[in-house]
Amino acid sequence: MNSRFATRLGAGLAAFAVAAIAAAPAGAQQLKGLFRISAGSYFRMEEPAGAKAKFFANPYSTDANKTYTLVTGGTDGGLRTGVLQSAPTPAFDAKGDSLAKGIIAPANFTGIKFGLVTVGTAPSITASGGRLSGQLTGFTAQWNKLSFKQGATVTGTYNAQTHAYVLTWSSRISGGPFNGFTGIWHLQGTYQA
Amino acid sequence: MSTTWRWPARHARLVLAVLGVALVAMPFAFQMFERAPKGARMIASFRPYMTAARLGGYQLELREIGAGVGEGPLVAAHLYGSPASAGERRFASSYPDFAAFAAQWGGIDADMTSMLRTIQANLGNYEAVAALPSFTLFPWFFVIPGVLVLVLLALGLARAPWWRTARWVLVALGLGLVLAPAVFQMFSRAPKGGRMVTAFRPIETSARVARIQGYFAEIAVGQGAVQLGLISALQHSGLTSAQISSGYPGLATFDAQWVHILNDMTPMIGAMSDNVGNYEAVAALPPFALFPWFFVAPGLLVAAFALLAAPHGAPSVRREASSDLPNSLTEGVT
Repeated sequence: MNSRFATRLGAGLAAFAVAAIAAAPAGAQQLKGLFRISAGSYFRMEEPAGAKAKFFANPYSTDANKTYTLVTGGTDGGLRTGVLQSAPTPAFDAKGDSLAKGIIAPANFTGIKFGLVTVGTAPSITASGGRLSGQLTGFTAQWNKLSFKQGATVTGTYNAQTHAYVLTWSSRISGGPFNGFTGIWHLQGTYQA
Repeated sequence: MSTTWRWPARHARLVLAVLGVALVAMPFAFQMFERAPKGARMIASFRPYMTAARLGGYQLELREIGAGVGEGPLVAAHLYGSPASAGERRFASSYPDFAAFAAQWGGIDADMTSMLRTIQANLGNYEAVAALPSFTLFPWFFVIPGVLVLVLLALGLARAPWWRTARWVLVALGLGLVLAPAVFQMFSRAPKGGRMVTAFRPIETSARVARIQGYFAEIAVGQGAVQLGLISALQHSGLTSAQISSGYPGLATFDAQWVHILNDMTPMIGAMSDNVGNYEAVAALPPFALFPWFFVAPGLLVAAFALLAAPHGAPSVRREASSDLPNSLTEGVT
């Protein structure tokens, strides 16, 4: 490798690095902490694709519209980023109610309570210009002695002054009794570092 | 004059080589390495549900739900009085979720009961298939004998004296293949497996599973209407829990058994859903009734051609042209 080539290669790499930095969102901030889950957060389940969207009605929902199952923060207050919130042992009681109480207070779904845990990869969320983005690939719902992967990339909004946030995503269920259904999640509350 | 008939050993060996290659190739041709393990997974997944007790339990649960739904008019009469028809109309408008569920229940019950009866009728067929060696092993039942045939042929070609032994090993191998279906009772079990695969064809489809999932959603709504609507209304009318249980045993049982029904039915729906692809793989295999013959036919051919492929100076298969003439043990005498 002669010196002229080395110089050109170095210049090229430097230009690429500058371009990459310029392309990154200005002021992107990793939010590593607790996303408190407050009133207004919910879960819906859309039935497999048909001519018209149809949502699974949960008669035990406390909302007037039974296709919305409302969730509130659990003993941890909500969803933590950067760490896992694992399932307890055992994960269920004899009835099939989830004993995972950290992220949300287990919510009644058709007569059996579901809870939330994170497994595998810890959640990570970044704020940039009032927008949130990240991954919750390990987000898992537990109900009736079954686990449902509900992880996905997530988007949302964030107010840096009030720390109010909204996170939304959807995740198609693959396998099991709800195979083909899509879980739709909407979490809101405040972020606490 | 005596005639000793012999296939040229070289030709017999060539046929054996073709048989060996065919045995090795067959699992690949039928995609058995991909499909057979799926069959094994399906058989294993169905095992917890394929018992008379479990299937009987599902049918009992359907009857319990039906009994609860059937008491709707009684509740209507209690809450809204007579005339019954007007009372029922007011009841339906006050409890639309229950009314909608009650209207759908007949169809749900008929479809689910029909499905469960089909499954129950195939319990024996399932048990017969489950008693066969694991499906995962099936491709190897062809590949291993095929490879052995080819290896023994190669040994015989490499060293002529070895062929005498190799030939008898091949005869034994062929007889082993012939006997294998009898040992594993394939002649009785495999056709039963075929009947099960045929019977499950309308059940193990994505559309049918989606329909069952839809029923599950409807039943859940119906149960919610029973507990949160009807039973609550009966309590508000002044009835005690004991009076509700004695006056409306169907509703009370449906409500009391709901969690058990959920615990019981949910994994079954999951197993049905998870095995649609596995079922399709099994259904794409050759008809089960033919499977024993996939062993017997090559086995007979391997044994026969191994006998025909006698080396120089070895006893050969003879066809007597005239019984009064001496036998010849030498090759090439015709």
